[in-house]
Amino acid sequence: MNDFKKQIKKRPKNLNLLSVKFPMSAVMSVGHRAAGVLLFISIPYFIYVFQLSLSDETGFLQAKTELNSPLVKLFLLIFIWALAHHFLAGIRFLLLDLDIGIEKKWAQKTAVLVIASGFIIFLICSVVLFY
Amino acid sequence: MSYQAKGLQAWFFQRVTGVFMAFYMVYVLWFSLSTELFTYQIWLAWFSHPLMNMATALFFIQLVVHTWVGMRDIVLDYMPGDILRFITLTCISLFLMALSIGMLRILFSLSFNIL
Repeated sequence: MNDFKKQIKKRPKNLNLLSVKFPMSAVMSVGHRAAGVLLFISIPYFIYVFQLSLSDETGFLQAKTELNSPLVKLFLLIFIWALAHHFLAGIRFLLLDLDIGIEKKWAQKTAVLVIASGFIIFLICSVVLFY
Repeated sequence: MSYQAKGLQAWFFQRVTGVFMAFYMVYVLWFSLSTELFTYQIWLAWFSHPLMNMATALFFIQLVVHTWVGMRDIVLDYMPGDILRFITLTCISLFLMALSIGMLRILFSLSFNIL
């Protein structure tokens, strides 16, 4: 047991984070987590808008004008990116579970595809929302 | 289920809820894009339909399970210390339960209406 503890103490530590290279699949995975947290935080706001929109006619119109305000639109845009990225990355993970695209080369390519698609959806929605 | 299989259970839940929510969201997107202009009547009728009302309630329950597994993973990965973890996880679970109650209250307040 004592030997084991000594061994743990001797273990080398690599604290220079710049020496760690992030492959695209790792960037995508971190994005998946970050997007997930963002989606989690935004749940209460959507419950609020949902209940406002279903309360009555005026509430519905109120919800509509609220969603059309510039600040909320900006939030919606970030939310849409998070949802798109989380959705696509999730599908990629499901396919990986089925051993589809599991080879290293393809896994990197699909990771890039997920990141790119997320940004393309973001761009399309920003055009639709702001013009 | 044995203790060793608990991780498998979480992994499995994450996938099942993810697939259900994916189908729900594709349907919602399709319906929203194919509706020219949302009026209050259409909006209310949509969520008052028993199937949509139920599907939305199911969606939210799945969302809460999915969020719980995901946030738990993140807290266990990045948060040091048992006490800090315990407090954070308790707060997240209470928060998610409160959100579920709020959401189900809204859905249950709509009386079923088939077209």
